[in-house]
Amino acid sequence: MITLNRKLKKEPIAPEPTNTMNGLTSNESMVRRISVRDKLLIKEVQEMNENLPATCSVHFEDPNMLSEFLLTVTPDEGFWQGGKFKFSVFVTDDYNMAPPRVKCLTRLWHPNINVDGDVCLSLLRQTSIDEHGWAPTRRLKDVVWGLNALFTDLLNFEDPLNIEAAEMYNKNKTEFQAKVQEYIAKGKR
Amino acid sequence: MSGEDCDPMDRGENDGQKPDKMFTLKKWNAVAMWSWDVECDTCAICRVQVMDACLRCQGESKKDSYGKQDCVVVWGECNHSFHFCCMSLWVKQNNRCPLCQQEWSIQRMGK
Repeated sequence: MITLNRKLKKEPIAPEPTNTMNGLTSNESMVRRISVRDKLLIKEVQEMNENLPATCSVHFEDPNMLSEFLLTVTPDEGFWQGGKFKFSVFVTDDYNMAPPRVKCLTRLWHPNINVDGDVCLSLLRQTSIDEHGWAPTRRLKDVVWGLNALFTDLLNFEDPLNIEAAEMYNKNKTEFQAKVQEYIAKGKR
Repeated sequence: MSGEDCDPMDRGENDGQKPDKMFTLKKWNAVAMWSWDVECDTCAICRVQVMDACLRCQGESKKDSYGKQDCVVVWGECNHSFHFCCMSLWVKQNNRCPLCQQEWSIQRMGK
């Protein structure tokens, strides 16, 4: 990725202490410090792109803003097969102490995503007492894998956000499948 | 060491016979390896080597009185190590080691 490499090169190196008389030299104050988030993102975005699952694609509206992007998941198996689901991922300033903020932009019928687009995924939880919540050891690629797995391995009917969807599944799986496909068809129209 | 050397006197007596020792070590090079006494040498929070200043301090280029960057390493009871700066930010939110989820308590600090 050319833009990423260019960004890496532009990363300011700590200025040599040429003027020790006044603590803040003009040189130092002029160089806008790159935040820890942005430094992490330069590496993590590249890593994410290199490890993207076959069912995922990412799009940056502004290639110079690594903190905001769209993730599209097109499941190739399961209830949501044939659908295309867009997520907006926003990496806040306090990354990686805090998880990225994720919203689902596509309306869908899913036990762990409600119709408003709120996503219930343990690794996106800021405070968690178990090992499944957010930790600064996690990376962007883990977030992508997590969101992708919501349609397969991490799909969870036991602890639903959309209770109605989970109850429907427990009562009648055919009805649930039909409703999922109905939402997918609505989205395509 | 001298015991291993062949005595010239002995050699004189054994003249014409096979010497006791087939080889003598004339030169040898010792190679030593070392590594930091930590389980992992990269801080899992900022992904910079723990012996270097953390990502945050590098940006701020804080220097101590020796002109070195003043960013120390902290070891937990679980033996995982991080930059003290990185870890103190994280424990404010969750007092657990992000690598093993054990309750975080400091074993030692320093460089």
